[in-house]
Amino acid sequence: MFKNDERYWDINLLNKWFAISSLVFLAVIVWMFIDDNDDEFKEYQKEFRKLQVDIAKNNLEEEQSLVKGKTEEFEAALEKAVKIFDQKSEEVKNINSELGELRAGFYNTNLTYSATKAKLDVLKFELESANLKSGNKADEIRQNYEQKLASFDEIKLNKEQYELDIAALERQLKGLKADIKSAQSDRDIVLKQVDLAQNKLSLLDRSEMSFMNKLGDIVRDLPILDFMDPYYKVKQTVVKDVLYDVNFTAMPAVDRCTSCHLGIANPDFKNAEQPYTTHPDLDLYLTSKSPHPEESFGCTSCHSGRSRGTSFISSAHTPNTPQQKKEWKDKYHWKPVKHWLQPMLPTRYTQASCFKCHQNTSDLAGAEKINLGLTLIDRSGCNGCHVSGNWEAKGKSGPDLRKLNEKSHPEWVSKWIKNPRSFRYNTRMPHIFEQANQEKPNIAKRNITEIASITHYLFEDKEVKKSINPSKYLGNPANGQNLFSAIGCMGCHVKEQEPALAPSPSTFKELTKLQGPNLIGMGSKVTPEWLFNWLKKPHEYMPSTKMPDLRLSDSDARDITAYLYDNKNYDFDQLDAPVANDEVLDELTLDWLMKMNPEKYAIEKASKMSKNDKMSFVGEKSIRHYGCYGCHNIDGFMDAKPIGVEITQEGSKPVDKFDFGLYHDIPHTIHDWIENKLRTPRIYDRGKESGPLDLLRMPNFHFSEEEIEAVTMAVLSFNTDKVGEPLLAHKKVPESNKEGHRLVKKYNCQGCHLIENRGGQLVEQIGSPEYGPPNLHSQGRKTNPNWLIKFFNNPMTVRPNLQVRMPSFHQIDDREWDTIIKYFQSIDDENTGYRAPHQYVESSSKFKAGEKVHEIGACNNCHFYGTKFPTQVASTWAPNLALTKERLNPEWVVDWLRNPQEIMPGTKMPAPYLPTPDVLETSDALDVWGRDLVKLKGNQEAMLEGLRDYMWNIRGKVDISDEVKDYFDENGYDFSDGNDEDEDEDWGDDDW
Amino acid sequence: MSITALKSLIDTLSAPTISFTILTVIFPFIFPPSDWFEKIHRKSGLWRVWTKLGGVIGMILITAFFVIGYFDPYFNKTLTKADNFPIVLMIYSMWFYIWLGMFKAYRNDIRLDQGLKPNEYNDPDDKVLVWPDLVYIEFIALILFQVFLIVWSIIVAAPIEEPANPAATPNPSKAPWYFLGLQEMLVYYDPWIAGVLLPTFIIVGLMAIPYVDINKKGDGYYSFRERRVGMFIFMYGWVVLWLFLIIIGTFFRGPNWNFFGPFEYWDIHKVEALTNVNLSELLWVKWFNQGLPSNILIREGLGFVITGLYLFVLPVVLAKTYLKDMYEAYGPTRFVTIMMLGLVMLALPIKMYLRWVFNLQYIIAIPEWFFNI
Repeated sequence: MFKNDERYWDINLLNKWFAISSLVFLAVIVWMFIDDNDDEFKEYQKEFRKLQVDIAKNNLEEEQSLVKGKTEEFEAALEKAVKIFDQKSEEVKNINSELGELRAGFYNTNLTYSATKAKLDVLKFELESANLKSGNKADEIRQNYEQKLASFDEIKLNKEQYELDIAALERQLKGLKADIKSAQSDRDIVLKQVDLAQNKLSLLDRSEMSFMNKLGDIVRDLPILDFMDPYYKVKQTVVKDVLYDVNFTAMPAVDRCTSCHLGIANPDFKNAEQPYTTHPDLDLYLTSKSPHPEESFGCTSCHSGRSRGTSFISSAHTPNTPQQKKEWKDKYHWKPVKHWLQPMLPTRYTQASCFKCHQNTSDLAGAEKINLGLTLIDRSGCNGCHVSGNWEAKGKSGPDLRKLNEKSHPEWVSKWIKNPRSFRYNTRMPHIFEQANQEKPNIAKRNITEIASITHYLFEDKEVKKSINPSKYLGNPANGQNLFSAIGCMGCHVKEQEPALAPSPSTFKELTKLQGPNLIGMGSKVTPEWLFNWLKKPHEYMPSTKMPDLRLSDSDARDITAYLYDNKNYDFDQLDAPVANDEVLDELTLDWLMKMNPEKYAIEKASKMSKNDKMSFVGEKSIRHYGCYGCHNIDGFMDAKPIGVEITQEGSKPVDKFDFGLYHDIPHTIHDWIENKLRTPRIYDRGKESGPLDLLRMPNFHFSEEEIEAVTMAVLSFNTDKVGEPLLAHKKVPESNKEGHRLVKKYNCQGCHLIENRGGQLVEQIGSPEYGPPNLHSQGRKTNPNWLIKFFNNPMTVRPNLQVRMPSFHQIDDREWDTIIKYFQSIDDENTGYRAPHQYVESSSKFKAGEKVHEIGACNNCHFYGTKFPTQVASTWAPNLALTKERLNPEWVVDWLRNPQEIMPGTKMPAPYLPTPDVLETSDALDVWGRDLVKLKGNQEAMLEGLRDYMWNIRGKVDISDEVKDYFDENGYDFSDGNDEDEDEDWGDDDW
Repeated sequence: MSITALKSLIDTLSAPTISFTILTVIFPFIFPPSDWFEKIHRKSGLWRVWTKLGGVIGMILITAFFVIGYFDPYFNKTLTKADNFPIVLMIYSMWFYIWLGMFKAYRNDIRLDQGLKPNEYNDPDDKVLVWPDLVYIEFIALILFQVFLIVWSIIVAAPIEEPANPAATPNPSKAPWYFLGLQEMLVYYDPWIAGVLLPTFIIVGLMAIPYVDINKKGDGYYSFRERRVGMFIFMYGWVVLWLFLIIIGTFFRGPNWNFFGPFEYWDIHKVEALTNVNLSELLWVKWFNQGLPSNILIREGLGFVITGLYLFVLPVVLAKTYLKDMYEAYGPTRFVTIMMLGLVMLALPIKMYLRWVFNLQYIIAIPEWFFNI
C-alpha cells in the first residue's frame, strides 16, 4: 500500500465518501424498486381482492348454512368407517406384506420375461434371414428358436400368475377400505358446494392458506420474480380491430382498463364502488354472449382514453361535469393528460363512438342521443354549410325560394329573415342577424340594409301575386280543422300557438311531428291562392318538396286553406319591415366591390350603379356571404360552394386547431368548444375587432341544452378513428336497407306508421289503432312487391274504415320505392324478388274445408267482397278480400290468420274459429262441420291454408276507392264519435 | 415596489434587445479585459461579485427569481415543465462553477501580486497519483451522479408528447434544450449559417484553442489577470452568446417563436410586426430611391463589399495597426485563425444589433441561390 503522505487526498476521507455514497446508492436503488412496483392498479387489485374474499366468505357461509347439521352427520360416519378399518389393522398388515413379496417376485419375473422376449426376437430375425439363403443353417437356428420359445412360454405363465395373485390381494384390500370410500363419497356429494367455496376462498385469502402456499403467494409478487406468474398484474386485452393512429401507422388498442375496473364484467359487483362497479349494461356489452364482447371491442373503442394507462390520471379520464372535475381533483389529483389526442369521452358523449361501427343510420336502437344529433344535423341543414363526408346532406333542408313571389310577399320575407322566431317560435330557420357580434350600431345598420337587399334579390324580376279574389280559395274553416286532424296532416305538422305545448324534439316520436313547419300565422305569411294550390299539388310548386299530395278535392282544399289562413300573427304584422338605407347601401356596395377591385375602380363602378343595381348586387353578395343557399334553392346559387368548415373529421381535430377566441373562460376541450359554438355561435368573436365582413357568420339555431348535447355528440362522432372491417356493423347491413331507412326517415313515414317498432304518433293522435294508419310490422313479408309499388305510385283504398289516407308521393321515383320495399323486405329477411302465382286446387278437401271455416267465420260482416259491401256498419269495415291475392303473400296470410294480434297489436280482426280434433270426433260432426273439415282431422294448419286458398278464389273489383268515397260522401264520416269503447286518455289532447 | 410591478419590470427588462444589451455592456466590467475596465471594475465594487458574499448573493437572486416564478401562474407553466428542468440546473451549476473559478482566480491573483506561488502549487515534485487519487474520486462522483440520475427519473416522468404528426407540429416547436442557443441564432441568420457554419466554427474553434493559445501563464492554476483578454472573449461567447441564448429560447420564447417575458401569458394571438428589409433594399430602394438592379451581383454588391471588408480586410488592417503586437507575437497562421474565429463569433451580436436597430434582415440576400448572410 501507498503511504498516506504520498497522496494528494486523505484516503480515509475518500473511503468515508465512498461508503456514504454507496449506501445512498443502495437506498436509491431500493427506492427505485419500490417506486417501480408501487403501481396504482396494484392498490386497486389489493382492495378488490378483499372484496372478493368477502364475497367468497359470504358464499361459503351460505353454502355451509344450506348443509347445516348434515356436515357433522357425514363427518361422523366417515370417522366411524375409518375406525372400523383401523380395527382390522392386523389383517391389512398381513395383506400388505404379502403384497410386497408378490410385487418383488413379479418385478424379477418381468425382467427375465422382457430379456427373453428380446432375445427371442433376435433369433426370429436371424431365422428369417437364414430362410432366404440356401444351406442348412436355417434348420440349426430354427431348433434354437423353438427351444427358446418353449422357455419363454414358461416364463410368461409364471409372470401372469403373479399378476393374478396381486390383483386378488388388491381386491381384498379394497374391500376392506370400501366402507371408508363410500362414507367419503357420501360426504363429498353433500358438501361439494361447500368444498368449492372453501377452495375458492383458500386461493384468495392468505389467512386460509397453508404456510407454503402463503409463502408462494408472497413470493410470486416480489420484484423481478413477478415476471413468472404474479397475482397482481396488468390485465390487458389486445383489440386488433380497434386501432390507434400514430400517424405513420396504426396500432391495435391494448386495453388495460380492467387492471383497475376489475368487476366490470362480473354482475356480483353491481353495488361496489368505482373502480369495481359492474358495467351498467352487460346484456349489450362485455360479456361473451353480448353483441360487443370485450375480446373484440375492449373498452376504449367506445370510451376512448389512453388504453395503456394503468393509473387514474394516465388513462386520460375526462370528468363529465364541473362538479365531477372538482371531486376528482380533490380525490385523485386529477389533471388532463396533456399530449393524448383522444382523452376519454365524458360519459354523456360515449354514444359518439357508436357511429364508428354503426355508420349511416340515425336510428340505432339504444343510442337515442346520437340519433337525435344526426337527425338535427339533417333537419337544421348543418351539412348544407359544413360538408361532412360521413353524413352527407340529402337535398336542401329548407324550402325552395325560386318561386317565393307566388307564396309570400317581400315585407313578410324581410321581417322573417331579420327575426324568424318572432313569427314562429319553434322554426328551424336559424337567426342570422341580431346576434352577439352584430350589436354595434354600424353593424346593425348594415344588417338591416343587407336584409332588405336579400329580400330584393329574392323577389327581383318576379311579380308578387296578390290574390284578386281570395275568397275563391277559402271554404269552411271548421270543416278544414276536422280534415286537418283526420286525413293525416298531423303526421308531419302541428299547429300549436303555445310554446309550452309544442312538441319537443327530444324523442323520436315528437320529432316526427316536426317534419313540417308548425302551421301558425299562415294568414300573415302566404296568399290563399298559393296555399290552395300548394295543398292540391305541392310538387308543382316545388318538385323537391317532401310534402306529399293528399289527393284533396277542391272543396276539401278550400276548407283546409280557410282553416290555416284564418290564423294570423298580428304582433308580427305590426313589426316594421327592414328598409335599405341609401348611405349604408353605398357603403356595402363599395365594401363588396373593393373586395375584388382597387378602391378607385370600385368607386367608379359604384357610381355607375342605380339603387336597384346596388340592391341586387348587395343582395347577391349577402346571400353568398351568409350561405343562405346551404338550405334553400335560390336562383343563381345552384352550384355555389358551402361556406362552412368541413366537419368530416371534426371530432379528431387537435384541440389547438380550434379558435377559442381571446377569452380564457371556456375549458379547452373539443366538446366544450362545440357546445359553446352551438349555444352562442358568435361567442369566439368576443373582444375581437374584426371588420364587418370578417365577423363569424354561423347562425343561431336556438337549440335547447339537450339538442346542443346531441349535436355535439354527432359532431364528435365524425372522426378519424379507425376500426377493422369485422367490427363495422353497417357493412353487414345491405346498402338498400340503409338507403331505404334514410328514405323512410326523409319522408317521415314513421310519423304515421309504426316501422321497426318506432314512430306512429299519428295513430295515437287519432286514438285507436284500427282507425289510424296501419302498423307496418312484417310489411316485407306481407305484401306482394308488385302490388306495393303500384300502390305507392297510385294509392287506393285498402282499409275502407279509415278517414286518414295514404298520400301520393309523386316526388319519390320507382328506384326509391324499390329501395324502400327492399328495406321492408330486409327487415323481415324476405328475399324473394319474384313470386309465381299461388297455386291451389279448388276440388281439394282443404279448399272446401277453408270455405266452411270462412262461412262459420262470417267474414262478410266486415270485409268487402269486391263491390259487395259488408253487412255491418261502416265503423267495422275491413279490407276488400277480392284484393287479397294481388296484395298479400300467401305464407303471410296463414300467419296472419293464425294470430292477427301478434302481427298487428290492437287489430279488430279476430282469429277465425277452427274446430279442434275432439269437436270433430263427435257423432254429429259430419252434419255440423261438413265432410271436408272432418277429413282434416283437426289439422288447423291445413284449415288455415284452406281458408287462405278460398280467399285466393274470391273474385270481384279490386279497387273500391270510388265506392267507399261515394258512400261516405253520402252518409258522412262520423261514426268515430259514437265509438265509446275506443276512447282513451290520448284522445283528449286532440280536436276530435 | 409591489411584486406585480417587479414582475412587469422583469418582463420588460428580459426582452432580448434590453437584456442582451445590458449583459453586453456590463460584461467587460465584470470580466475586465483591460486596465481601464479594471479600474472601474475595482472602483464600482463589481469585483465583489467574485467574493464569497457575491457568490451567495448570486445564488439567492437566482433562487428568488425561481421562487417568485414558481408562484406565478404563467412562469410556473414553463418552469415546471419536465423539459426545462435541465435549464434550471444549468443556471445554478453555471453560476456556481463560473463563480468558483473566478473566486479561485482572484485569490491567486492576490497571491501572485504578493510574489507568492498560486494556491494550487504544492512543491517542486508537484504530482497527483492517478490511482487512487484521481480514479477513486471519479468513481465516487460516478456513484453520486448515478444516484442523482435515478432520483431524477423517479421524481420527474419523461416528457413524452403525442405521436409525431407532420401535419400538426407543436407551437412553439422547440429544439432539445442544448440546441436552443442554435435555434435562437436562427432568428438572426439563415439556416445554413446558424445551423451549419456557426456550430462547425464553434467546434473547430474550441478544438483550436490549445493550438492558438501561446500564453504559458495560468497553466495548472486559476488566474484571471494573467489571461484576461482570452477569458473575457471566451466568457462572452460562452455565457452571453450560448448560455443566455439557451435561457431565452427556453423561458422567453412562446407560440410563433414570439418573445414573452417570464411572467407573461403565452398568448397565441400575439402579433409582432415583421418589417425586416435586406441591405440591398435599404441601399437601392430607400437611399437611391429606385428599383432593385436585375443583376444579382450588382444588387448585392454592397453586401459583398461589406462582408469582404469585415472578413478579409479588417484582419490585415488590424495586423498593421491596433493588433500589431499580437500579430508579431502569434505569427500569421495563428493570427488569421484567431481573427477568423473571433470575427465570426462577433458577427452574431453585430447581426443581432443590425436587426434590432435597422430591421436589417440580410447583408447579402440571394434567395435565388439559397445564399443569405
